[in-house]
Formats: sequence, structure tokens, C-alpha cells
Amino acid sequence: MTVGGGAGGAPSAIDAKKLRIYGIGGALVGIYLAAILNSVLGTDIFSILAAAGAVAAAVMGANAVRRVCGYGIGTGVPSIGMLALGMGIVGASFGLSTAEQLGVSMAGVIIALVYAMIFGYIVGAIANKVMGFNIPIMEEGLTDLSGAGAMAIIGWSYAISGSLAYADMVAKVFNTGYLAIVFICGGLAILHPFNANLGPDEKQDRTLVNGLMVGSLAVVAVGLCSLATLSTTAAIITIVIGAAAWYYFYVWYYRLVKRDAAAVVGTGLLPPSAL
Amino acid sequence: MNFDALTIVYILEIVVGGLLVGVGVHFVPVGGAPAAMAQATGVGTGTVQLAAGSGLTGLLAAGLMMSVTDNIWPILASGAVGAMIMMDTTMMAGGWIYAYAVGAPFASAKVNYDPITGYSQPPYVAPGTVGQGIPTVCYVSGTIGAFMGGLGGAMIYYPLMMTNHNPSLSALFAIGIFLVNAVLASWNIQGTIEGFHDPKFKRWPKAFRSCLVATVILALVAVTITGGA
Repeated sequence: MTVGGGAGGAPSAIDAKKLRIYGIGGALVGIYLAAILNSVLGTDIFSILAAAGAVAAAVMGANAVRRVCGYGIGTGVPSIGMLALGMGIVGASFGLSTAEQLGVSMAGVIIALVYAMIFGYIVGAIANKVMGFNIPIMEEGLTDLSGAGAMAIIGWSYAISGSLAYADMVAKVFNTGYLAIVFICGGLAILHPFNANLGPDEKQDRTLVNGLMVGSLAVVAVGLCSLATLSTTAAIITIVIGAAAWYYFYVWYYRLVKRDAAAVVGTGLLPPSAL
Repeated sequence: MNFDALTIVYILEIVVGGLLVGVGVHFVPVGGAPAAMAQATGVGTGTVQLAAGSGLTGLLAAGLMMSVTDNIWPILASGAVGAMIMMDTTMMAGGWIYAYAVGAPFASAKVNYDPITGYSQPPYVAPGTVGQGIPTVCYVSGTIGAFMGGLGGAMIYYPLMMTNHNPSLSALFAIGIFLVNAVLASWNIQGTIEGFHDPKFKRWPKAFRSCLVATVILALVAVTITGGA
């Protein structure tokens, strides 16, 4: 298990601060660009941008999982992914609903992000102060994780609803039950990378590329859902780009696995005296 | 959204529901990967998965009852019973596998005598393990835990339904609150626990405080959410 996230050891380690900027920035740019382009041009084919933004957020979340779980939390990695999505779903629905009540549906993403991150910080503080985890990056990690969960939910939900309006989200994502798919696929993109790659030879780039790969699969999944809610063109675009991205990252991940596996040294068979 | 007396009651119901979930998780005999290999007592999966499974069944049962009545008592009861049925069938099927497939006797390594049956435990604990299977006391404890979890889930679902009148939104939001509390509780017990006889059970006040803070913050925003359209 890499202590302290182990970011220092990997040669191509990306700093957590930088990844946070990429993740949050990418998610906000993706979702807002999709919302603006869709509404200005009166189409829904740009919904893929929001899905891509959600992938950026999921990668940030995967890095946060990696850093927190590197300390060992005693319950397995999936629990923290479920926590991220649990916090994210509350933040997302609160943000979008509040924005609608205030009459500024575009601000929903920001409200969701801020609430989710504050709540994540508080949960991190509880974990350290009340439960005595004493993980120095717990607050920071859960802040990232909660924000990533909220952005992933909103981004992928947008790719299904094609609109940031709360009523559309409820009608096309909540009431249809597609949110459950977003929930599980998004959770996998956040929790699976570290769960699959953890161990003494865990490398940040391999874990994060795995996150991109699983995130792309989630894009394909929401693309399939959007066949029922958006125009066929928009859905096909989302599915094709998601599948292409999945293939690209799969090949990349495979290369990294081979790179790291080649470093494993065989210890040979047991000496004859031991048999 | 104005915070009238009814809203405060809803907030309190959500908080109590969250606390029931948080404490209920401590009753569930969960053994994680070691239990899956019959090297520890309990059901062989993670706390959160087990708690979420029983909680979601409770939510479904509560939702079904809510579609025919608005009376809170049958809704809470069906939520609790739904979760208990799910947990009991899981433990029973798990028990069949431990008994007839793995061939392990049910034994707890945390107590010398089963508090319910009074049977001696140490002679049956396989060497190198911390017990195996789901002994009677764990089964009873798990049933109590599922009762609390299902009751808590229904208690979160009911006020949400009363404020936003949207079943799918309420259910998913309730799942969010449920998961936060279940994960906090499972962090508190550090992965595995046998039930109320386990020494780790004494840690529950920590989970109570944690879940109280977390659920209050969630409940305050939960009642402001509208049903959309």
C-alpha cells in the first residue's frame, strides 16, 4: 500500500492541486459549454461535452480515493466511492432545485459544487476528529471526492437530459430511473481505478488512466440512456465518442499495465531442499 | 421555503432516520472478504453493501406502502419488515453455504458462550481464523440491525415524499442520505463486526455523533428540495 498516496514515487506524478483544477475546471467548462452551445444553437448534440466534463471530475475523484485509501481506511475502497456518490447526489439535487427556485437554473452547478465540497469537508473533519482516523489529507480528500461526485452526477445527468433545468432533470433522469445508472457507473469510475490497481506497485498514471477508461464506459452508458430522451443524433454522438475514448484509454492502460508488469522480478522456484 | 412547524418535524424525522441507520449498521454481522473465505464470522461482503441492500429493500417496501396510504405507521413498519426479510434471507442463504458447501460450523471468536443459546464457541473455531459462519447471536443481531436500518430508511423517505411528492426523487435522495450514514458507521467499526456482543459495538456513540452532524446538514437541505415540474 502506498503510504500517503505515494504520489512522490511515480515518475509522472501529477500534483493533487493540479488535478483538482483540471477536474473541477474541466467539469464546469464541459457542463456550461454544453448548456450554452445547446441553448444558443437550439440543439442537443453538444451534450457529450458535459459527459466529458464529468469524466474529468471522476478522474479527480479517483485521485482523491487513491490518496485517502492509501492510508488504509479499514473498510475497502468501494465504501468511499459510495460515500462520494451519496454526497454528490444530495449536492446535485439540492443545487439544481435551489437554482430553479431562485430562477437562475444556470447557477445550479455552482451551488451543487459549493454545497458538496463544504459537506465533504465537514465529513472529513468528522472522520478525523470524532472517529480518530488522523489522516492528514482526509478533509482535503473528501472535499475533492464530494465535489467530484456532484460534478459527475450533474455532468452525466446532463448528457441524458440535455438541459440544466431542474424540471427536465427530474422528468428525464430521476423519474425514468436513469439516475441509478449514472449513480453506479459514476461510482465505478471513481472507486474502481484504485480498487483495481492498489498494491505496492500502484502508480498514479496507471490508476488515473484506468479512471479515464471506466469514465468513458460511463459515457457510453449514459449515451445509451439518452437514446430515449434526446435526439438520436445526440445519443449516437455520445455513444461513438464514448466508445472511441474507451478504446483509446484501454490501449493506453494496457500499455501501462505491461510497463509495470515488466518490472516484476521472478523469485524462482523453491530451492530443492525446501521441497 | 418557509420553516414552519411541520418542516421542523420533517427535519427531525430525517435526522432520527439517519441516526437509526448509523447505529443499525453496528448490529449487522459483516465479515468482508475474510468471511467470504469462512475465516471470520458474518456475511461475506462489505458493511456498506449489506446496509445498502437492506436499506434499499426497506425503501422499496416503504414506497410500496406509501402508494396506498399516507399514514406514517404502516409505512415505517413495512420499511422495517422489508429490510428484515432481506437481511434474514441473506444470512440464511449465507448460512446454508457455510454449512453445506464450505462445511464450517458456525462459531464466534468474540465470545466464549453464545449469549442467546449458551453454546460453547471456542471448540468450534477453526485454528487460524476468527470464527466462521453466522451463529445464532449474529442472526438475531443482524435482524435487529436490519429493523433499525429499514425503519431509518423509511423514516428518511416519508418526510421527503411529504415535501416533494416525487417518489423517484425521494428514493434516490434517501439513498444518498442512507449511504452517507452507512459509510460513516462502517468507518467507525473498521470493516468487520459480529453484532451487539462484539467489543467493537461499544464504539457506537462515535458513529451516533458523526451521523448526527452529517444528517442534520443533509436534512436542512433535503426539505428545501422540490419535486420539479
